[in-house]
Amino acid sequence: MLEVRAITVEYQSKPLFTNLSLTINKGEVVALTGASGSGKTTLLRCIAGVESIASGAIFLDHKDVTNQPAHLRRIGLVFQDNQLFPHLSVGQNIAYSLKLKRVDKKTIRERVEQALELVGLKDLASRDVTFLSGGEAKRVAVARALVAEPRVLLLDEPLNGLDSQLHAKLLKDLGELIRDRGITTLHVTHDQDEARAIADRVFDLHQLIS
Amino acid sequence: MSQARTKYSNTAKLLTVLPTIFVLVFVIAPVANIFGKTFRDVSLSLLRSGTIHEIIWFTTWQALVSTVIALALAAPVAFCVANFRFYGQRLVTSLTGIPFILPSIVVGVAFLGVLPSTLHRTAFALILAHAYFNFGFAARMIGNRWLQIHPYLDDAARTLGASPSRLFSTITLPILQRSILNTSLIVFTLCFTSYGVVRMLGGPSRSTIETEIFFRAMQLGDVSGAMLLSVVQILIIGSLFVVSTRFGSRDSRRASAPTISRQRRIDSTAKRFVVGLASLGAIGFTTAPLLAILIRSLRTSAGFTLEGWRSVATSTDLWRGLSTSFVYALGTLAIAVLLAIFASTATVFDERTAAFISVLTSLPIVVSSVSIGLGVLVTFDTPPIDWRGSQLMLPLAHAMIALPLAVRMITPVLQSIPAPLRQASSVLGANTWQTWRNIDLPIVRRSLVSAAAISAAVSLGEFGASSFLVRQNNETLPILISRLLSRPGDILQTQAFALSMILVVFSVALIFLIDTFDDFTPTNRAASDA
Repeated sequence: MLEVRAITVEYQSKPLFTNLSLTINKGEVVALTGASGSGKTTLLRCIAGVESIASGAIFLDHKDVTNQPAHLRRIGLVFQDNQLFPHLSVGQNIAYSLKLKRVDKKTIRERVEQALELVGLKDLASRDVTFLSGGEAKRVAVARALVAEPRVLLLDEPLNGLDSQLHAKLLKDLGELIRDRGITTLHVTHDQDEARAIADRVFDLHQLIS
Repeated sequence: MSQARTKYSNTAKLLTVLPTIFVLVFVIAPVANIFGKTFRDVSLSLLRSGTIHEIIWFTTWQALVSTVIALALAAPVAFCVANFRFYGQRLVTSLTGIPFILPSIVVGVAFLGVLPSTLHRTAFALILAHAYFNFGFAARMIGNRWLQIHPYLDDAARTLGASPSRLFSTITLPILQRSILNTSLIVFTLCFTSYGVVRMLGGPSRSTIETEIFFRAMQLGDVSGAMLLSVVQILIIGSLFVVSTRFGSRDSRRASAPTISRQRRIDSTAKRFVVGLASLGAIGFTTAPLLAILIRSLRTSAGFTLEGWRSVATSTDLWRGLSTSFVYALGTLAIAVLLAIFASTATVFDERTAAFISVLTSLPIVVSSVSIGLGVLVTFDTPPIDWRGSQLMLPLAHAMIALPLAVRMITPVLQSIPAPLRQASSVLGANTWQTWRNIDLPIVRRSLVSAAAISAAVSLGEFGASSFLVRQNNETLPILISRLLSRPGDILQTQAFALSMILVVFSVALIFLIDTFDDFTPTNRAASDA
């Protein structure tokens, strides 16, 4: 369960949003919409721990993680522009979190193969990430986040910039992946239809501010 | 090939003519002449000499150690500049760039002022001076590459469980690896071919290949031996250059676009301490030798005196040296910048031409300044091409040395102009020249100023080629400084330090000019990202 309690976030010493609260139950998928520049991405980054908050608290499974560094929170974040590591192959990107945990090579190989199959990219493990299409890169970014077994998955406009056919396919695949695994998810999008298609609940950012 | 592409390809080829002739006549021909005479007439027995083996070994290991120390000093500066936004950042960046632009002889003189006399003429002094000379350059190269790493890559690693140390070892260092290697190779090459520093601090027992070439040619009259050593050095540097070029091209393919600045405000005491320590250390290390020059210009064994400065101000010889240096600097910048504009513009029009220009303008880097001087001396020594005494030879030689730097300052800016911008100009009726004048030139103007500044700095401080080519009536400042220091006498020493201080002041002014106008310095990039 993720609970954001009355957080205030500042940008260049000015409040971006004040007193924002949000609760997501375990296994729930919540979509967050809002105008460009309203702070949706910043909210995700604060929850993930890569951006700091001015006041308030963030709880994960009833434990205060506000001051916990990002690498200890086990919150997955799929970035808007994927942020695949350019010096690593597809397989190495996906295996990254497993290598940090010193998982053995055989298990890593199996988990990477499973993840690639899950996102429909079988046999691409050795591909250079700079040669991936937009849809492929997105799938790798999702696979990389899922393999880390996050307690909460944050998706920052994951389907942004894809053509309508690919958008529809990935939306369906992503929805199935999240539901099948019961992952607590916060999905940010500016597309209302996408939000309604994937989420149990939909909020606009300003609704969360008291 | 389409008509448009043919037209651009022909324009590119035309633009390469002048730079090609220049490099052909003043670099390739002299080097080919050295190689030809060496393999035809020179005995290779010199290479079996134990003394020469020692010189080659010393040249190599001191360059290696200097490189390691320079990079170790550069690392904290690069880290701070790439990752934090702090008060005085621009000062740190500019100040640490000063040593690299200082004339090598001034660096040697500075360490004569800083170190006790017991440490003069030691390997320690040489290595320290080399590290001083190059650490700012290394910090810029690595810092610039570090700045290109998207900050969200760090965040991605953190959300996947990477602690700060694992983030550095698994993401940052692998991405920086090629830049570090490339920088190391360049610094090694510079330390390997160092001349002014070795002349000042090395003494007879600490010769490198570069000083040995000069010594054999100009003091022993053994031009054959000098040419042989020159060939050996060119072959070694050429091999290193091939390696560094291959690593450099692979690195540029991997570089991510710097869309968001990774420089963050300092938000903890620990970070403030680290940044403060690195900054103050860098500033202290940079300025201490420069202060030593100033102090030594005002002090003799009898105490403080203005006599050194007074004689600089009143001596006709010294004023002639000053004015000669500045005239040559102006000539150098005019030649180098003009050729660099032609060469850089050619790279925009055609990819094959770009590759050719890259190789062409790298050739002067492969040949050291002393070898250029020697090459010119042995090539243009017979009428009607006896140009050894010509006043033009020095600015031409200096322009050869400055050309690679000038091209590398202008080319990235020209290549960053999106093709559609020029196409938009064309469809509005502008021909190639009008497009260049109205689109390219305003964008590249700042880099032209930087290129001119660096060409002037190279000329003002050039010592290697000048040692071969100056005559009594056209001595440059570095040659004058060397002459004054080689004579006993306190007042002469203070004059040498005073002249060195003049070069320092101009170098400092030039580095601030370059930093103001160069579009690719870390602070300017961060400012444009913000």
